[in-house]
Amino acid sequence: MLTRRDFHTRMLASLGALVMPQAAFATEMSEAATDEIWLNRLTYGATPALRAEIGAAGRLTWFETQLAMPRDQPDISERLSAARLQISYAAESDQEGHSWPALDELRGLTSLTANPVDLVRLVDWSVGMPYAERVRPADEVMAATLIRAVHAPQQVREMMVGFWHEHFSVNAHINEFAAAFFPFHDQAVRSHALGNFRAMLGAVARSPSMLYYLNNDQSQASPANENYARELLELHTLGAATYLNDLYANWREVPGAEAGAGEGYIDQDVYEVARAFTGWSVGDGRYLAEGVEAPRSGTFNYVEAWHDPYQKRILGREFQPHRGPMEDGDEVLDILSRHPATARFISEKLARRFLADAPPKELVAELAEVFLTHADAPDQIAHVLRRLVQSKTFSATPPEKVRRPFEFLTALFRATGAEITGTSNAFVWHLARAGWQVHTYGPPTGHPDTAGAWTGASTLNRLVDYAIEAHEDWFEVATTDFSSLGPGESYRDFVARFAGALAPGRVDEVVAALQDVYGNDPAALVAEMPDDDRKGMARMAVAFAALTPDFLLR
Amino acid sequence: MARDPILVVVFLRGGADGLSLVSPVSDDNYIAARPQMLRVLRNGDAPGRLIRQDNAEVEFRFHPGLGAFADLYDAGDMSLIHASGLTDATRSHFDAEARIEAGLLGASLPPGDPGGWIGRWLAAASPRGPMPALAVGAMRPASLIGAKAAVAERLEDLLIGAGHWLAPQMRARLHSGFGDHGPLMAPMSELVGLSDALNALIWNEAEAVVKDYVPDQPYPEGNGLSAPLMTVAQAIKSGMGLRVATVDVPGWDTHVNQANQFDNLTRGLSEAVMAFWRDLGSAQQDVSVVVMSEFGRRLRSNTAGGTDHGRGNVMMVLGPQARGGRMVGRWPGLTNDVLEEGADLAVVTDYRAVLSQLLTGHLGLADPGLVFPGFAGSPIGLWL
Repeated sequence: MLTRRDFHTRMLASLGALVMPQAAFATEMSEAATDEIWLNRLTYGATPALRAEIGAAGRLTWFETQLAMPRDQPDISERLSAARLQISYAAESDQEGHSWPALDELRGLTSLTANPVDLVRLVDWSVGMPYAERVRPADEVMAATLIRAVHAPQQVREMMVGFWHEHFSVNAHINEFAAAFFPFHDQAVRSHALGNFRAMLGAVARSPSMLYYLNNDQSQASPANENYARELLELHTLGAATYLNDLYANWREVPGAEAGAGEGYIDQDVYEVARAFTGWSVGDGRYLAEGVEAPRSGTFNYVEAWHDPYQKRILGREFQPHRGPMEDGDEVLDILSRHPATARFISEKLARRFLADAPPKELVAELAEVFLTHADAPDQIAHVLRRLVQSKTFSATPPEKVRRPFEFLTALFRATGAEITGTSNAFVWHLARAGWQVHTYGPPTGHPDTAGAWTGASTLNRLVDYAIEAHEDWFEVATTDFSSLGPGESYRDFVARFAGALAPGRVDEVVAALQDVYGNDPAALVAEMPDDDRKGMARMAVAFAALTPDFLLR
Repeated sequence: MARDPILVVVFLRGGADGLSLVSPVSDDNYIAARPQMLRVLRNGDAPGRLIRQDNAEVEFRFHPGLGAFADLYDAGDMSLIHASGLTDATRSHFDAEARIEAGLLGASLPPGDPGGWIGRWLAAASPRGPMPALAVGAMRPASLIGAKAAVAERLEDLLIGAGHWLAPQMRARLHSGFGDHGPLMAPMSELVGLSDALNALIWNEAEAVVKDYVPDQPYPEGNGLSAPLMTVAQAIKSGMGLRVATVDVPGWDTHVNQANQFDNLTRGLSEAVMAFWRDLGSAQQDVSVVVMSEFGRRLRSNTAGGTDHGRGNVMMVLGPQARGGRMVGRWPGLTNDVLEEGADLAVVTDYRAVLSQLLTGHLGLADPGLVFPGFAGSPIGLWL
């Protein structure tokens, strides 16, 4: 493991190496280009500091350093505890006769560190409060998501958190219940982002927000509610490719099923999985029976009386009747998390996220094998990711993933060194106009991850807006220092610095484009220009560099 | 103004409960399978509107929230095709949507095929005009993957840097900056083209503001479908050469608490579509609207006041067809022996039969096989 001192030594050495012989130039350039690919695929956007870091440490060492970073970093915890997000509402009253005064204040992200039991009051309708208060925890997670994506040192982990949030997608604004407990959904995903898939699957299956979102909180015998069960199979584990309902009308016909290991699933399996999860609900004080209420724990709650206890058959495996609490559901998760189809499905999605829209089949098969080999490892997912970046394909594939709106925005802010203040969630609305719904995507699929979905004219046009306006306080969320100058910095070097932070390969092009607009003498001292002019030119350099293939693709 | 015929596809995302949209209210199996609150009633405070039709065996009624559709049906402008849908047995939203929008059903994708049924129609018909297809929303539906189609909530969303001092420079860069780059070249030039065409129509340069669309008839307020349909109406009237538009209506996946949700969903749908239809005025004669969903819902309700994923559904066609005011296609009934897999209303009319008739009868396509490869269904009688 690299110590901090080693790291600084290497970084200084690399700075010295900037003066290099001409002959080394071509190889060095291609190394830098490969570094760029790694950074833009594995982080929320390359920065000048990260470029120096990966150049000094070497790509694999940098990657291992990233994986080794603990889940919580002091820097990001400080930022989150310092953040103040606006909350405002009018004086109103509800149907129960409660009323509240108007409010407009900046408030800390307190729910991120709250205990579940403290948030139950938000879904207690005998307590009067406005909608904005009830859904506040979800809004705080949204604000934190941007702060973390832009500022977290553990960028690879953050990218994986983003991946799993999409994989286990919850529309946090579907109702007040999903919103109130959303910080715990975030924590379920966050805790296991580089860990063990079965552990994460179990945490998500017990996540109140997920239970509410896919209605399993209300599923009881009989008929069960099938919503969660179907998406568990199709979206969380086996994948639609193994949904064989149009091919087989009976469980016995599914290959492998008679031997107790069905290779795919049909609706008969969906019905049975739904039965297995009856009674998996939430401790939110709800009415269960005359004189019986669920505990007010704010966490998962198993309701034995709602469970369908009789025998089941899932993927050809027999489940005995009358088993212990949650045994049916947990065994389903055991089967699914070790199923080869799950390994393939997760591996393909990972490769699609971090490599290409249509990743090579051989690579996916290789990753799936790693996934299964390490099924019991506490760092199973890290193993799969490591194999992905170590593959020759990873460095050899040119950037062809279109940055999705959230990634485009974070990469912009990261490149310019913007400080995210988190005082407003207006960025959520701006991103929604481009099709990116921060933790509020409607369908449980999560956002699509292929270029076709993100190259519509309106979506691209929003990226143009972000490029032009994200640094003009339009988002009310970031401040950027466009005033600081290097000693004796020329006008050319000044705009090149900003253009190069976004797209190192496009500096000359951007400088020339600015030349066409402003006609400045490239050698003029930028310190002698009016501050507003300088800022305007820097912003324009950023906008021009952002709207290049180099920056739009990763 | 002579206009080429236009098709508007309204897709109810989530699997709308067709048995509640157009209900077989007199059917004993329907009555037995659901509590009263999940049924359309024949009398009481909010009975469904009776649907005049030829099948004397069963009485159908519109959901009470679909009063505006009942008006359109009674006026002879709307036809209903019940027990229709995808012939593949899938109860997965995303699988069903993908199959419906690809429109292939077992046929393999021909080389160079854009991938979706509307994309194939565009390729076959090669309509002229700067905006032949419009998908209202932020995301492109699968029916239009790979096709030249504007994707936008509002037309002004397509103006590059509207009113911003950097707009001309940005426009110039987007115009030239992607010439060597495959994945972004076509989308960027599409954006520039649309922005230029719309700039002349909806941008007021003197005052640096967008010219707001002023509908000829009011749309309901607080209705999420009003703005998308206004965008379609604006595009139809703008002379951009629109031929196909898609509009998604979310929220139909009613696994819980269906009764309350359905009141709002049906009212929102029918009132916005009615406003759109009135707003079109004389353009009605050029426009057909098809309302469809990925599947219907289970005959028997669950224990959470909702229904789970089913199969057969009702498709609704609004437009100048000659046989409006009818239920078209066979009704298979709801007895156990005819339910699909013992659980759901069977699919007896292939959704492609309905869309094919819109393609041939309305849009004037000679060979529907160009859009639905391998499909050779006979006309279902939407047109005489």
